[in-house]
Amino acid sequence: MAGGFGQADWFGVGLVKPIESSARRRQQTCSTGENPKLSVRGRTDLATKSSPKPNAPEVPGGGFLRRLASGVSLTAEAGIEWTIRLCGWSAILFVFAIFFFVLREGAPVLFGELDLVEFFTSTHWQPTSLVRPRYGALALMVGTLSVTGLAMLLAVPVGLGAAVYISEFCQGKVKETLKIVIELLAAIPSVVWGFIGLMVMGPLLMDLTGAEVGVNLLTGGVILALMSVPVIVSVGEDALKAVPDSYREAALALGASRWEIVYRVLFPAAKNGLLAAVLLGVGRAVGETMAVLMATGHAVQIPYSLLDPIRTLTATIAAELGEAVKGGTHYRVLFVIGLLLFAISFVVNLTADVIVKGIKGESRN
Amino acid sequence: MAELRYCLAWKRPDGSFQPGETFASFAEAATALSAWQPQSHSGALSTQEPCCTDQVEIWCSCQDEPATVLSRPRYSFVVYGTVAGGGGDGSEAAPWWGLQEAITGLVELERSGQLALRHGQRLRLCHREVFATSAGQKRKARAENIAKTVFMAMALMLVAPVLAILVYLLVKGWPALSLSFFLENPRERMTAGGIWAPLVGTFFLVFISLLLAAPVGILAGVYLNEYARDNWLTRIINLAVVNLAGVPSIVHALFGVGVIMFFAELRRNYGIWVPFEDRCLLAASCTLAVMTLPVIITSTREALASVPMSFREACWNMGATRWQTIRTIVLPNSISGILTGVILQVSRAAGETAPILLTGAVFSVPVPDHGWRAFVPYGLHDRCMALSMHLYTISTQVVNVPEHVEYGTAVVLIGLVLAVNSASIALRVYLRSRKKW
Amino acid sequence: MKTKTEPAARPSSSPGESPSSGRSEVHICFRNVTVNYASVVALREINLEVYRREILGIIGPANSGKSTLLRCINRTLDFVPGAKVTGQLLIDGQDVLKVRNVYALRRRVGMVFPLPVGLPLSVYENVAYAPRRAGVRQRHELDAIVERCLRQAMLWDEVKDRLDILGTKLSGGQQQRLTLARALSLDPEILCLDEFSIAIDPVTTMRIEDILRELKQRMTIVLVTNLVQQARRLADRTAFFMAGRLIEVGDTENIFEHPQCELTRRYVEGDFG
Ligand SMILES: Nc1ncnc2c1ncn2[C@@H]1O[C@H](COP(=O)(O)OP(=O)(O)O)[C@@H](O)[C@H]1O
Ligand SMILES: [Mg+2]
Repeated sequence: MAGGFGQADWFGVGLVKPIESSARRRQQTCSTGENPKLSVRGRTDLATKSSPKPNAPEVPGGGFLRRLASGVSLTAEAGIEWTIRLCGWSAILFVFAIFFFVLREGAPVLFGELDLVEFFTSTHWQPTSLVRPRYGALALMVGTLSVTGLAMLLAVPVGLGAAVYISEFCQGKVKETLKIVIELLAAIPSVVWGFIGLMVMGPLLMDLTGAEVGVNLLTGGVILALMSVPVIVSVGEDALKAVPDSYREAALALGASRWEIVYRVLFPAAKNGLLAAVLLGVGRAVGETMAVLMATGHAVQIPYSLLDPIRTLTATIAAELGEAVKGGTHYRVLFVIGLLLFAISFVVNLTADVIVKGIKGESRN
Repeated sequence: MAELRYCLAWKRPDGSFQPGETFASFAEAATALSAWQPQSHSGALSTQEPCCTDQVEIWCSCQDEPATVLSRPRYSFVVYGTVAGGGGDGSEAAPWWGLQEAITGLVELERSGQLALRHGQRLRLCHREVFATSAGQKRKARAENIAKTVFMAMALMLVAPVLAILVYLLVKGWPALSLSFFLENPRERMTAGGIWAPLVGTFFLVFISLLLAAPVGILAGVYLNEYARDNWLTRIINLAVVNLAGVPSIVHALFGVGVIMFFAELRRNYGIWVPFEDRCLLAASCTLAVMTLPVIITSTREALASVPMSFREACWNMGATRWQTIRTIVLPNSISGILTGVILQVSRAAGETAPILLTGAVFSVPVPDHGWRAFVPYGLHDRCMALSMHLYTISTQVVNVPEHVEYGTAVVLIGLVLAVNSASIALRVYLRSRKKW
Repeated sequence: MKTKTEPAARPSSSPGESPSSGRSEVHICFRNVTVNYASVVALREINLEVYRREILGIIGPANSGKSTLLRCINRTLDFVPGAKVTGQLLIDGQDVLKVRNVYALRRRVGMVFPLPVGLPLSVYENVAYAPRRAGVRQRHELDAIVERCLRQAMLWDEVKDRLDILGTKLSGGQQQRLTLARALSLDPEILCLDEFSIAIDPVTTMRIEDILRELKQRMTIVLVTNLVQQARRLADRTAFFMAGRLIEVGDTENIFEHPQCELTRRYVEGDFG
């Protein structure tokens, strides 16, 4: 009904003409001459103007109003929005792409000649055997599991303790410094960690324990622990920080000491976040490659003591993919291992995220 | 049942208790307490007057049996020395206000049967200054100190060994560090020379991956914070970002290899143009870019979220479009946070080995020592060296590399990464200090 | 509760017509406008006209939907998730709720919200922000606009020597006037003020009110205010809102002297529990 008033369509899109090219739209907007009176007035001092002349005709069509309406291009805006949108969706794209391309290489053996039972239950990893190659990854899995377990055994108490200390027991400069140190700790490249394990801790361990090889489960575990601690500390600290101060104040009012607050109030309240911290630490340890490649001894076997060298899933891929014949069974089995790792990390991260934020996700504020 | 006797025992300054008068009923004993003139600072007093310390007890015994008392009092009550207000129940948390209140309270408790002393048992009444810490509080403070120490030890356990190791590396690597170490290429099967070629390789890898990851990552952060509505799609994107950050680096490498194979097939079978079809600098950079994307996304998003909503609303009210608002107000005011993320990306990309190990970096590439080619030794489709890869190579793959060269390389790599990281932290601190609102 | 509104007049004149026809000409017209936030009904079937070049005062207790009414006019309700508007809101006969180019709309409607917001730009750029976005590039044009708007907002004398300091570093009252200056920077034809004087001292408020009386010659002003006396001083007509309903609207004099409705009388006499 409003269209019936026969006036220019100053919003660009009228009721009767829903879709128009942007050029035409612009033209129309300009042609309205809506407010001929509103041109730039120079330095008119309105505050002191004594007799306003509201109805006086003023420079028609001049000034900025003409350009005012043309400053908006809905098309450009939409174009930009879609670019940004696509970039936003790229994260999903990449996760799928990773899965797809790893699966694509691994699929022929995964759904073909690879004996999955052997893969999961045999400790015979002899991919280069000329007589009969065997792909039993059990020892590798146990290797990953044991070194991760050891690392977590060391890292979780220390990491959570440090998180508690940073979040509850220190303030100001000390807190800032500690956080920065933890951040720097997280930044040390994994190949350097491997180097430290290989060159520093290995020999040290041999001196101390008389082990035959310095690079073994223990060295790898300690290195991995040091590597996953920063994640545990920072996520754990976030979790503790997320506990409302009112909880602490209520407990303080009841006469609890800070230590009591920590284990009676904070731990229960933040248990999800802390669990997620541990899970993310596990994720980091399972996926770590270079450090375990260099510092765990590279022997395919099930470890019986802390001083046995081991080999992990990740290290196997890194060490063998370069030499494996492209498109061969060995090569593809390595991709299957990659798929397994992807699945593990996916589950771990998903669980951690769901634990912290719930199924539907934290609403943004 | 034998008659019970109640004996008032005053604490002596030396800590022992001295039995005094004996009464036949509890009430009488309690009333006699009014003679007490409690002093908390008993040690300071030279007087031997027993009724002037901070504790008094009522001992209970049978008339005819010997007065053996148990080592710990059966009941323990607390009283404030100063009379102010009233009430309290004698407990640690709410002591009686004043001695008179305490006596009434005790008598009342006894009469109502809540308090019954038997043979050998004793009741202790402690005096406390109103604002002094109680014994329980002291115990708590002690526990707290212990806890604090333990936690601090845990935090230090992270810091100390790392510092020690860093110092150790630096000491061992020091002899190698010289200008020529940086500027020379590796020689004689890497047992001599410097690290120029790997250093340049790392620079290229990081730079290209940054060029690829930064725009996408920043725009993705913008999308998540500015455009995304609170719905399931956003949730999935968030999950994807988290997962992308958590994917093991070796899986990223496999992804890179998979894409290379895919491109090679496309090229071979259909003759389609592809960016790369073999391991090369570009492929490795792309892999690094995908790997570091979530770092940029997350920090961009946090940086944008720190810009108050009211600024955006003010702009929208003036007819600015979403993008104009973002470009003119939101991005300029969150650039510090975004830069932090970008720098973090740089440091991560510089240190990574696994993803480039299989997609483009190799042990050794012959590079010219002189001329401009020394500065641009690799083309986009060449294989390249990288510092992290070089460290791996000389420490595990090559024999007879002098120790100081290995340590020197490690120190340079660590120094590079930590320097970049510190720059990010410094930037953050600096820009936080001059916030605009 | 009797709703007393004037009969809905058809917007009968085109904007090109001479402005001398004055206030009989309908500029903004609400027809059965109802606004829901997720569960709350913020406005219920509002029928209201605002005439060209008048000051319409809107009074009413808190949460009666006054701000929501303004948010409808420049479509900032779009940003509130879950907000739903039904009915028709005509500006010059065009339904604002169906407009696609909301940016052009918002440029014609100046809006001042109660909380002062200085953008983290210099004072100059704060005021020049909207004109720049709208395509004004010439420095002298911008200079003129900035000075005009700052003068209109009574801020010029305080900041003329330091136009380059950050808008966020001004005091609350100054920021509020800066907000007003920004709203005026596009010389809008509708100016919506939502409790603009909250953060401004009374003397400056009085002077801004004088300015508003002058601005009235050129634009339609919708003035939401908590201060009943402000409406009385300024408004040509006044509307009284309560609990999302338009209770009464009429000439200010009538509303204050002879309210038709008991609720209105009690509110303007300050007799509300
Ligand atoms: N963003 C919002 N989401 C949900 N409800 C809202 C929102 N804004 C306002 N409301 C509700 O709408 C009603 C009217 O609010 P408002 O227009 O701000 O009133 P006024 O400005 O008169 O105080 C109130 O009941 C308020 O609670
Ligand atoms: Mg309001």
